[in-house]
Amino acid sequence: MAKTIIQMINIIKRYYIGQPNELQILNGISLDIHEGEFVSIVGASGSGKSTLMNMIGALDRPTEGEYFLDGTDISRLNDKQLSNIRNQKIGFVFQTFNLISRTNALKNVELPMMYAGVPRKERSRRAMELLELVGMKDRYTHQPNELSGGQKQRVAIARAMANDPAIILADEPTGALDTKTGHLVMNIFHKLHKQEGKTIVLITHSPELASETERIITISDGSVISDTLENTAENAGAENTEVSGE
Amino acid sequence: MSFFENIRMAFSSIAANKMRALLTMLGIIIGISAVITITTLGSTLRTTILRALSSMGGNSFLAYINEKEVEGLDDDDYYLTSEDMITLNMLRELEEQYPGEFKVAASTGSSSATVVNSEKQYINVQIQGVLNGYLDSFGLKLKAGRNITMADNEQNKHSAIVSDIFVRQYFRNGEEPIGQNIEVSFENGNPFEFTIVGVYKYSELKLNSFPAGTKEIDKVTPIYLPYNVINDMKAMPEEGFYNLQIFYDLSVENSVAYTQICDFFDEQYKENRMWNVYIYNIQDEVEIYDMIINILTIIFSVIAAISLIVGGVGVMNIMLVSVTERTREIGIRKALGAKRSTIKLQFLIEAIIICLIGGVIGILIGLLNSELVGVIANNIVSSNPDYSDLLGNISISPSVGAIVISIIFSTLTGVFFGLYPAGKAAKMDPIDALRYD
Repeated sequence: MAKTIIQMINIIKRYYIGQPNELQILNGISLDIHEGEFVSIVGASGSGKSTLMNMIGALDRPTEGEYFLDGTDISRLNDKQLSNIRNQKIGFVFQTFNLISRTNALKNVELPMMYAGVPRKERSRRAMELLELVGMKDRYTHQPNELSGGQKQRVAIARAMANDPAIILADEPTGALDTKTGHLVMNIFHKLHKQEGKTIVLITHSPELASETERIITISDGSVISDTLENTAENAGAENTEVSGE
Repeated sequence: MSFFENIRMAFSSIAANKMRALLTMLGIIIGISAVITITTLGSTLRTTILRALSSMGGNSFLAYINEKEVEGLDDDDYYLTSEDMITLNMLRELEEQYPGEFKVAASTGSSSATVVNSEKQYINVQIQGVLNGYLDSFGLKLKAGRNITMADNEQNKHSAIVSDIFVRQYFRNGEEPIGQNIEVSFENGNPFEFTIVGVYKYSELKLNSFPAGTKEIDKVTPIYLPYNVINDMKAMPEEGFYNLQIFYDLSVENSVAYTQICDFFDEQYKENRMWNVYIYNIQDEVEIYDMIINILTIIFSVIAAISLIVGGVGVMNIMLVSVTERTREIGIRKALGAKRSTIKLQFLIEAIIICLIGGVIGILIGLLNSELVGVIANNIVSSNPDYSDLLGNISISPSVGAIVISIIFSTLTGVFFGLYPAGKAAKMDPIDALRYD
């Protein structure tokens, strides 16, 4: 069995604690995700999927329970340590791309490395490598408003890879894209998974997208209701084509 | 993330919004340029006034005979005899002890005389016997030749210094006046021959002014002769001086010269039972002017600096807008691993750089303003020869201290008014910030 990257034990998240409108979003979620897995977390709106994602991404701390990310107990870290974890262990890919405006593709990819204190030359060398990996090398001087949705998402994926994180956490990465472009982006994830051996956690409400992954975790009302392994060879094999420019 | 990277990031963020940044800086620019203009004009005014004052005797002492405090003597018991006066002999000793350092201003009363030129024109002049510091007491400058010296006085030499106007009146063919002899007819009719040793530049402002339309030949200017020569011609010559103005050379410090002159007269009057010489230091008075100008400069600068606060509030306002506008960016940066302190530093440095750029532009505008005022002032001064005589060329002297303080002050403005918006940005919750539209 591969190394456990994410280990959640009985995670509970409550909001408005002690007030009349106290709200419990996560009702004791336990899950293990192993190195090299391509997992999707599926659930309808309001199922607690986003809260779980924030938790996995170290943007938020659980009210109760323990969360070990690559061996570190996240629930006991302060803000500064959480920042380090986000910087080093997690690569975010968002639905709305979230590139920094008025900043070119290269600088966007360099950003996590800048926060990590990587020297300038090394940073831009690595950023160019990553842009090449996602097929965006020719556009490195382009600003976000000069790129299409699919191109933006590819830059965002390159940025997520910048510090070689333990997991890539993708929140509806194809949600703002048309079907064809969405496929292209998904292919990059497959490529990262297959060729780079990345652990990828995909959060989506689409069962279709989830079916492309190795393992589907379904969330409803703050609890895991199913956790199934897919026949991976068939799905991934069919979709795994070479990435090319749009 | 290094400090320089923060600065680079701040510049690119400011560059992305140039017009807004410029408008934000406006308050700082106006405040700093006002402070620089005022301090520069203040320090220029100060040097100009001090120079004018010293050209009118700022580098001199007043010496006068003063009562010694002697026990057992009432006010009524003091009496002054001719032996108690300051004598020429003492002044000669002063010259010997400190050669070339002190010049004494003293003169006899003036009387009228006439000189006839080669064209048989009568030139009316005033005659005055003087010691070597007399020209200085009027701020008059020699154009050629030398001053009346202590030696001229001791040796009763018939040396004379005449005005540039007199030179034009007397030497109709433009001859070289130095070394020429002139015959001066005194009121009682006796002519005496004098040798011209120097020519001074006549100043209407400092001596008499002539009525409008006076022809040059009718202008009456003083001829200065050795004190002794004139004093000895009097029916009752003066025995000595009751008071004197003594100039010291500008290369000597005031305090040094003051001690020297006090010690000198204390020594001279050591044996005198009830009199000594009191030395009044004119520099003390100059220092009061100096203080007044400094106080005025400070007051006006503080008033100008108040506009900096207004400018700072403007910076804070825009930074708050910027933080709100960039909420999503802050969320992304936090998700990518930026610490609170990193975000705080980013916005703080941006505010500081806006203020610093504003400060530097303000300093440049302030210096430009001062130069402009300097050009105007010099135009006014040079259009009036008497002012330019007194003030010379006004050179704008920017206060380096004010420039340094302005830079420090604009940095502090940036820190003070940037801290709150930067803190607000740092405290943002990354989840909320990422969701912000």
